[in-house]
Amino acid sequence: MATLEITGLRKTFGGVVALAGVDMTIRSEEILGVIGPNGSGKTTLFNTVCGVYRPTTGTIHWNGVDIAGMPAYAIGRLGLGRTFQQAMSFPALTVRENVQIAIEHGSRREDGAGPQWSSPEELLEFVDLEAFADEVASVMPFGNLRRLGVAVALGGHPAQLLLDEPAAGLNEGESVQLIHLLRRAHELGVGICIIDHHVGLMAELCSRLVVLHFGNKIADGPVDDVLSDPKVIEVYLGGEE
Amino acid sequence: MVTFLQELVNSLSVASVIILMGIGVTLIFGLTGIINFAHGEFLMLGAIGVWVLMGYGLGYIPAVLIAVAVVGLIGFLLERGLFQFTLTRPNNGFMASLGLSIVLQHVVIRIWNSFSKSIPEPLPGVWQIGEITFIKMRVVVVLVTALVVAVTFLTISRSRYGLALRASLADRQTAALMGIPIRRYITVVFTYGSAIAGLGGALTIALFPVTPFVGSEMIMLGFAVALIAGLGNVPGVVGAGLILGLVTGFSGAYGTPEWTNAYTFGLMIVILIFRPQGLFGGTMGPAIE
Amino acid sequence: MADKRPPMGPRTNSAWPSPAALILTTVVVIGVFAFPWLNPGYRALSFAVTTGVTAIVLYGMAIPFGQAGIMSLGYAGLMGFGAYTAAILSRDFGLNMWEAMPFSALVAALCAGLFGLPSLRISGHHFAITTYVMCELLRIALINGGKFTGAASGLDLPPIGTVLGVKLDKLSNAYMLVAGFMFISMLAAYCVANSRYGRTLRSVRENEQLSRSIGVNTNMYKVGAFMLSGLFAGVGGDLQAYNFRHISPDLYGGATSLYFALMVMLGGPRTAFGPLAGAIIVTFLPEFMRIDPVDSRIAYGLALIAVVMLIPGGVIAAVGRGYQWVMRTLRGPHAGSADPHSAQV
Repeated sequence: MATLEITGLRKTFGGVVALAGVDMTIRSEEILGVIGPNGSGKTTLFNTVCGVYRPTTGTIHWNGVDIAGMPAYAIGRLGLGRTFQQAMSFPALTVRENVQIAIEHGSRREDGAGPQWSSPEELLEFVDLEAFADEVASVMPFGNLRRLGVAVALGGHPAQLLLDEPAAGLNEGESVQLIHLLRRAHELGVGICIIDHHVGLMAELCSRLVVLHFGNKIADGPVDDVLSDPKVIEVYLGGEE
Repeated sequence: MVTFLQELVNSLSVASVIILMGIGVTLIFGLTGIINFAHGEFLMLGAIGVWVLMGYGLGYIPAVLIAVAVVGLIGFLLERGLFQFTLTRPNNGFMASLGLSIVLQHVVIRIWNSFSKSIPEPLPGVWQIGEITFIKMRVVVVLVTALVVAVTFLTISRSRYGLALRASLADRQTAALMGIPIRRYITVVFTYGSAIAGLGGALTIALFPVTPFVGSEMIMLGFAVALIAGLGNVPGVVGAGLILGLVTGFSGAYGTPEWTNAYTFGLMIVILIFRPQGLFGGTMGPAIE
Repeated sequence: MADKRPPMGPRTNSAWPSPAALILTTVVVIGVFAFPWLNPGYRALSFAVTTGVTAIVLYGMAIPFGQAGIMSLGYAGLMGFGAYTAAILSRDFGLNMWEAMPFSALVAALCAGLFGLPSLRISGHHFAITTYVMCELLRIALINGGKFTGAASGLDLPPIGTVLGVKLDKLSNAYMLVAGFMFISMLAAYCVANSRYGRTLRSVRENEQLSRSIGVNTNMYKVGAFMLSGLFAGVGGDLQAYNFRHISPDLYGGATSLYFALMVMLGGPRTAFGPLAGAIIVTFLPEFMRIDPVDSRIAYGLALIAVVMLIPGGVIAAVGRGYQWVMRTLRGPHAGSADPHSAQV
């Protein structure tokens, strides 16, 4: 079991307060969802935790290790992986090479648990992309790129994944496929924490929800409780389905 | 002290020409993201143009006017024929400009030769003020540069077009969305930048002899001045140019003249590493995000 | 669920080069080593040596430029570090070419690492300009280095001497030596490109942020790539110094670096033969074909513009694509799409 403890996390850019002191805990046995209106700080949260930004103040403990301020690659090596809001890949390389690099470098974890891929093909099969192994990533349709992004993040032995809007831009069918993929990854032992706007998708996938608003956490608990919380309905769900 | 002031006065004219180059570089880069390695060749073409025209019997001033116009036209044609296709991939534009500078230099060598060329002094003589000797032609160079800088600056800061240009320098996409004809501005800026580089060349050849390689000698200093000031910052170029003049004067008077360029280059490297947005802050820096 | 199998022909998963590539390589190797026996004459052989030495540097450049995507215009300076190290070690400590080689390589590698550090803070063409300027600074320093560097007139070197009974002062023998080193460089660059290290460099080039997120220390890889390229440049400088017996600062300025960049871009930095082709086209061909040097330079500049605008992979990559097109056409329709393991990496 891996734990990510975030305490009093604050991130400002000049005068703009993106995160106003967030406390939360992410455990790898649960599937955690992070929701909130645009600009509430969700992506900033992931970016700060993963080392893209330095926190202004606050602590981040990953399995007991203080990772606040560590460079992004070092955090990646510690078993904390992520995907990005834009579909990311290594465009001129083949799908196989994309995944191969991830396996060769991917985040490690001390307990040796979690996904262990014996070959790129095995990982590609897990995400249903083995037919495209020799295709160059840049020509892939968007849905495949999203799956490739997850595959790359799964390449090492990540203990926890932070996924930033992994279903953005996918149609209904593809979103369902993605949920199944994430559930299977979770069964392998990878913690899943996901930002998204499809409240229905989140309700189905997650066991717990955290809601951010203007950089503050305004709700944190089981899905049904959060979705019926009047504060949450007012700032985010009101008028939305 | 007198030696220092004398060296300073002498080096101001060269600094002026560098400022003319730097303005072109900073405007073109600020607006297009293209670093045109061949920009120095515009200076060279301006100088050679004056030499050729005066060889046909034209006076200095008509030769300068025609040469500058021709160089501006060449800049226009290059923008339309080559650089406009590299806007989406500025690194390609840079590499293509490497090839272009080699082509331009050697075409000139082919048609004429690679030996240095000079013109009869357009304005011989000196003014003597106290212990300092002011070479008349050098003063003219400084004054002409000051005039061009003033006109450029006023246009950019006061006119409607200048405002649109500054908006485009700050955020090209938004400016385009607001109806500013970015492509046209790019063409105009490119043409203007090449023309004033050509003017710099025309002034240079009045000061000392010039070879077809003078462009590559000067362009680095032009880049240095633009980068030290901060790309996109036009008045900053003047400040950085004056610093260059000071450094040159200092080096000539007290230090080792052979190291002069080294000081400027060294300063450029230091600033790029520790303050990529330039001393005076540019609109676009070279830093990696 | 729709059929997700893309229409593709036979795929090759082999990491080994195709038979065609092996044949081509054999032909080139034989051609290069057989050259002196065609009686090309002293002048041509001499230019061939220059071409070979240059190609060694270019293969080094292929690592940070072709694989990691960072262009540096400072390679003439790095070669200069190698050459001057060799010359000074010869003059002051009596070391010969072989003994100096590791030192030349190391000095150049360290300087390459230093020259490469700014690339971590500055991007693309700004970094390129910085390297050009650093190269010029080196040249200025060499000119003003007084007795230590021989100032503007430069330094002399003794002959290479005899090794295992082979007189290496004889030009045809020296040529073979340089050709040997050149093929070693080619092989080394090829191995790097096809290794896990090369793959990682490509990931840095393709998407640095993604690369970092999966645990790659991109800064270390970038500086490492430069240092590796410095080894090649140092070896090339050592060989050049001993083959031409005299070096001077003007050989190692920004303008020369520019020509190196031109050669590697023209030939193509990501193919096995690209750097060699670039060196031959720019350095050797005009002399061999007695083209006027000024005209040839105009041609290169135009060729570079054409390559950059139209065939970004360089001449060899274009030739490779042309060859594949011919092969596909000969095989007939329904033969499947392009060979996924194309010549480039």
